[in-house]
Amino acid sequence: MGIQPLSKLHVKDKGVIAYLHTKNKSQVQKLMSIGVLPGMHISLIQRFPSYVFSIGHSQFAIDKEQAGAIYVRVAKH
Amino acid sequence: MKKIAIVGSPNVGKSVLFNNLTGSYATVSNYPGTTVEVSRGKAVIGVDEYEVIDTPGMYSLSPITEEERVTRSILFEEAPKVILHVIDAKNLERQLALTLQLLEAGLPVMLVLNIMDEAKALGMVIDTELIEKELSMPVAGIVAIKGSGVDVLRGMIEEYSAKIFIHKPKLNQSEEFDYNAGIKRQERATEIARAVINYEKSAGTGIKERLSRIMMNPFAGGPILLFVLYYGLYKFVGTFGAGVLVDFLENKVFGNFVNPFMIKWITAVLPVKILQDLLVGQYGVITLGVRYAFAIILPIVATFFFAFAIIEDTGYLPRLAMLVDQFFKKIGLSGRAVIPLVLGFGCSTMATMVTRTLPTKRERIIATLLLALAIPCSAQMGVILALLAGRPLAVLVWLGVIIFVFFIVGFLASKLMPGEEPSFYMEIPPLRLPQVSNILRKTFSRLVWYFKEIFPLFIFASILIWLGQITGVFGVLVRIIQHPVSWLGLPDKASVAFLFGFFRRDYGAAGLYDLKKAGLLSGNQLVVACITLTLFLPCVAQLLMNIKERGIKIGIWMSVFILFFSFGVGFMVNLILNLFHIIL
Repeated sequence: MGIQPLSKLHVKDKGVIAYLHTKNKSQVQKLMSIGVLPGMHISLIQRFPSYVFSIGHSQFAIDKEQAGAIYVRVAKH
Repeated sequence: MKKIAIVGSPNVGKSVLFNNLTGSYATVSNYPGTTVEVSRGKAVIGVDEYEVIDTPGMYSLSPITEEERVTRSILFEEAPKVILHVIDAKNLERQLALTLQLLEAGLPVMLVLNIMDEAKALGMVIDTELIEKELSMPVAGIVAIKGSGVDVLRGMIEEYSAKIFIHKPKLNQSEEFDYNAGIKRQERATEIARAVINYEKSAGTGIKERLSRIMMNPFAGGPILLFVLYYGLYKFVGTFGAGVLVDFLENKVFGNFVNPFMIKWITAVLPVKILQDLLVGQYGVITLGVRYAFAIILPIVATFFFAFAIIEDTGYLPRLAMLVDQFFKKIGLSGRAVIPLVLGFGCSTMATMVTRTLPTKRERIIATLLLALAIPCSAQMGVILALLAGRPLAVLVWLGVIIFVFFIVGFLASKLMPGEEPSFYMEIPPLRLPQVSNILRKTFSRLVWYFKEIFPLFIFASILIWLGQITGVFGVLVRIIQHPVSWLGLPDKASVAFLFGFFRRDYGAAGLYDLKKAGLLSGNQLVVACITLTLFLPCVAQLLMNIKERGIKIGIWMSVFILFFSFGVGFMVNLILNLFHIIL
């Protein structure tokens, strides 16, 4: 499966965050501050109307732009 | 006095712990970013008295939002003796990173693992002693909402504060955010979390999680929203609060007892006509000011705050925010703005203050404008619905125009205002069953706030009207306003209501109510008047709040825009209705 942005994942896909990539520095900071960091386990819960994912026992909703900045190494099903 | 600062991510229970330690009340809710103002209270721990500071939520020491900046400055400038870092136990791994950052900054931190019960329900067993060893800092596990573990925590605070003699934070801590240091901290946090957490069998996906998924489903979301609006707002606030309770208080209590009694008594003891007018005249402080405040506004606002508190504490609002985000992006806002905007249906003034939780200045300005223009507060809406009662078509036209204005103005504002497009990220807290005691306390504390801010203005407005009348200024103003009011096709008498409207929007609407009762307004006139009044200048309190929050320039500029815009829309609606010979 390789590394894909969260925005390309399917619902119920799980993986480990590989890196964050965006032109906007403050966006990276926002994501990191809520715990979206390389090495963390992440799973996608919902794609529409917003992206909802869980990290640990927390769930977060983000928009498409930010979901596109989170690159995930998808685990095999 | 020695200080204790409570810090942590949003929605981990800082305010509950604050209430627990101090015995006073800070607003607690189940959505991130409720603590807008810093609450301070006193607590006696051991033999010493401390000042306890409840700070707005922060995710990191490198501030992004205004609230995080506030918290940062408390930590570094007020030099608290003890800092309690409260974290949600089930999210130990994620939230421990901030603990590490606080420790690196040389701050006197204690770690408080809150909501231990939810972690336990997930099958987590946390070895707090091992964390103490790993980080060489005191660690307490509590369930703040039930008060369990808080006594142990008090003992630990006493012990800890006796141990630290010199507190010297590394003041060179830069606000700059460091990507690599962030990753290192998280690696360490993960390492510690893996060592201290053991898993027993977990309960699996519970019913709450299933309900949560349904609430976030875009197809189920619409019906759920309608359900909440219909029963929470329309039925409970509209029919019960604005109908049954207002009727009882206004007609029975004030109409039959308070007003006749006060008029009789004041007339007897105060034989000066001019003072009688001030207190019990047509626009008197008691007969108008106190009556409006207690008999009309109080029941409506109280029922709204009560319903809002329930909705808030279940955790519904963040789910609503994620549903409407894409929609809100079109008007220059993100889903986050749903919270101040919904609160605006209760009290727009309070909601304007809550716009502080929005991350950019641009979003704050747009939200403030929409609150001032197109969101009627509960008091106003109650009277407007009463005005339009029995005319469903009129209600539809009013609603349609207001919604249209809301989106057009939002859309144009987002196009015209420079600045970054908003981005949306929000924690979705678990659904929780609201606690009755918390709902009641929250409703009560909001009502107290409301009355402190608003009640004096009612009295002040009554006095101004009285002054305006005896000096003749009022008459002149009414005559001036008569022109624009007549362009709207409204009777001269309506201009009195519009002048009142400046003092309080709902005051103005209530003034129209008297006109309607006298049979002086047709259906069309009612709709035009309601639309104009809904959009019209914010009440004095909100005008002041706009200036306070957005600065004098933007505050005034906004009011001038709203003044012309509201009359412009009223004029257009009247024109269109006449042009097509529509009679409502």
